[in-house]
Amino acid sequence: MIQKKICMLGTFGVGKTSLVSQYVRSIFSDKYLSTVGVKVDKKEVVVDNQRVNLVLWDLYGEDGFQTIQQSYLRGTSGYLLVADGTRFDTLAAARDLQKRAVAVVGKAPFVLALNKADLEAEWQIDERTLLKVADEGWTVVRTSARTGLGVQQAFDLLTRAMLEQP
Amino acid sequence: MSDARSGPDAGAVAPPAADADSESSATRNAGGDHESFHALRTLLVGQEFDRLDAMHARLDDREARRRDVAEVLPHVLLDHASDPRFTHALTPPVERAITASVRQNPGPLADALFPVMGPAIRKAVAAALTGMVESLNRTLEHSLSWRSLAWRVEAMRTGKSFGEVMLLHTLVYRVEQVFLIERPSGLLLQHVTEGEEGVRDADMVSGMLTAIRDFVQDSFQVKDGEALEAMNVGGLAVWIEQGPRALIAAVIRGSAPHTLRTTLQGAIERIHLEFSDEFEQFRGDTAAFDGARPTLEGCLHTEYRANAGPNHRTLWIALGAIAVALMVWAGFSLRARSRWNGYVDTLRAEPGIVVVSAGRRDGRYAVSGLRDPLARDPASFLAGAGLTAADVDGKWETYHAAAAPLALARARDVLQAPEGVTLTLNDGALTATGAAPLDWIAEASRLARLVPGVEKFDGTAVTDAAVRNLMNEAQAIVPLFAKGQSTFAEAQEENVRQLMARVGELARAAAILRQGFRVEVIGHTDADGVPEANLPLSRARAEQVVQLLTPIAGARLEIVGIGVGSDDPAVTSTLEADKQRNRRVTLKVTSIPATATSRSVQP
Ligand SMILES: Nc1nc2c(ncn2[C@@H]2O[C@H](COP(=O)(O)OP(=O)(O)OP(=O)(O)O)[C@@H](O)[C@H]2O)c(=O)[nH]1
Ligand SMILES: [Mg+2]
Repeated sequence: MIQKKICMLGTFGVGKTSLVSQYVRSIFSDKYLSTVGVKVDKKEVVVDNQRVNLVLWDLYGEDGFQTIQQSYLRGTSGYLLVADGTRFDTLAAARDLQKRAVAVVGKAPFVLALNKADLEAEWQIDERTLLKVADEGWTVVRTSARTGLGVQQAFDLLTRAMLEQP
Repeated sequence: MSDARSGPDAGAVAPPAADADSESSATRNAGGDHESFHALRTLLVGQEFDRLDAMHARLDDREARRRDVAEVLPHVLLDHASDPRFTHALTPPVERAITASVRQNPGPLADALFPVMGPAIRKAVAAALTGMVESLNRTLEHSLSWRSLAWRVEAMRTGKSFGEVMLLHTLVYRVEQVFLIERPSGLLLQHVTEGEEGVRDADMVSGMLTAIRDFVQDSFQVKDGEALEAMNVGGLAVWIEQGPRALIAAVIRGSAPHTLRTTLQGAIERIHLEFSDEFEQFRGDTAAFDGARPTLEGCLHTEYRANAGPNHRTLWIALGAIAVALMVWAGFSLRARSRWNGYVDTLRAEPGIVVVSAGRRDGRYAVSGLRDPLARDPASFLAGAGLTAADVDGKWETYHAAAAPLALARARDVLQAPEGVTLTLNDGALTATGAAPLDWIAEASRLARLVPGVEKFDGTAVTDAAVRNLMNEAQAIVPLFAKGQSTFAEAQEENVRQLMARVGELARAAAILRQGFRVEVIGHTDADGVPEANLPLSRARAEQVVQLLTPIAGARLEIVGIGVGSDDPAVTSTLEADKQRNRRVTLKVTSIPATATSRSVQP
């Protein structure tokens, strides 16, 4: 079976752990348990009649104290960049992380998940900003770890992109 | 023909050849004027000649050539660095240069290599230390436990050393799972387990293991190649051996011996060797590594406990003890008494042991008496009689038994006969046969009579053999002489030296044995020449040797020179080489009967 490593990248509290949990176990919790170090999960999926085992590395989110260790990124086939739609600066953080990821793994496929889409009232990222990001060739998916909206889609897009990779 | 060739040749490289050829062609066209031809030639190709001369000069100038080569050599090497022929051609001289450099002064190379070797060596030393500490910890841990008590009992029961028993119990381990993990992704390539059960999510474990390693590596700033090698999770240990493209992680229950490391190392090395292409092309398809499973399964070592669980063992010991107690209680008085009587009877029959008293004393059996130091140990008969050392109190005084086997054993012990000598004892006469150095014979004849049980020493046989040997050795040496001379032939020094040595030994033997020998020194010549000349020559040759031997003969060797001319040749032949063999001196050694000796020694 094909195995692929995926890293979850994004600043703290954007919902990386929640997305993995929703994707793998269809569970969501309002409790915020900040991730320490790395938590590895896996999910078996079938894409285009091909069974793939995704090994998901849920990394801790960067904050003022700790930056991401580059070694965790090594050997990853793709990564899910996560930003929190209710916190504008998490998008800038995602951009910054993306640059650093390129430095380690090169042109690996990635998808940007704009998370917490269920919190429309607090949404801070307008369509214009989104279009700009999309113009750069980024794949952007609105997700909600709470409702499950777009979660499956985000991972599917990423998986397909990884499999297309030579 | 010759002209047609000389034209282009001259233009290209060889003006002298062109000269020579031109001259010869000029001579052939003898009608032409030589001088004007030369002028014409200078006119036509004079400039070329100057250029050729310049090129020549350049070719002859070693300094210039050196400069030229120096200029192009680096470029050639750089441009063709990947050409395997260069590598091939350069390897032997470079190897030799390195070898020579190391031999001359290993310093510079050692300095250059240090940054590479240092970490490797440190890692090896650290690993060795860890191993030692591990086993030390185990020893300490077990030396003071209830379990160790049980093991001590077992050690006593089985006759093994405590350490052995302890090792038997501690070196028990099971490699339960082996992961083959790709680097650096941490993706699980293969996973084998011992038995049915394994982890459900081996791929997650694989990822976590890798994440932990990454974490340790980054957090403690260890260099590449010094990564985490082992971790402990609950009662399990995880040992990691890494290669450039993958690592092996073995999950171990119990404590594995350090040799398992070697197994793991061997496995990861083999996998790298066999799957180098697969690693190169790896895009997540782990099926490519199915072929590595046998190698991984080879790491699933299991070492079982030698016995069943400790409970069973204790039970057995307890049952055994009860059974023995019952048996002892039931049969002791009867069986023990008959055993005791059997034991005492055996002792009485044994040479060198004299039983003075035997009976029961203070609730134990006691026996006392005399024992020759060479007799068998009374305690060694205990087992045969069904008794143990604890049952019997033995008190033995030393004495020397005259019994023949003991006296002989004692004689052997005292005389220290060399190999090849057989000693026999008959009616107090100790006889030596075989081959022995005379010194030993002399020593033996002196010491033998001091051995209890030996009355006299018969060394005739062994002496005769030794003497015969000496005589033969002396007679085997034949010095050769120069043609028509009474001086030794060329290259006879060693031969003469040997002869003197042998005769010296004979003299020493004669002194030791107080035995006289007659050494006839017989001079010979070849068959050339008349007997009137050969006889005196042979005598002169004998005399030459007598002169040499007389000073070392001592009192008991009688040295006599005789000349026999060519009457007793070694070979009959007219070949010069054979004739040389006849120009010789031979010895004939005979022993002088004792009476004759005493007459000659004490005139
Ligand atoms: N409403 C809403 N809340 C979310 C969503 N995703 C995550 N959360 C909440 O956001 C908080 C942080 O979520 P986590 O998944 O722990 O965030 P994280 O990125 O893993 O954080 P770190 O591990 O600290 O980097 C939690 O309280 C979640 O319940 C979402 O889609 N909608
Ligand atoms: Mg988290």
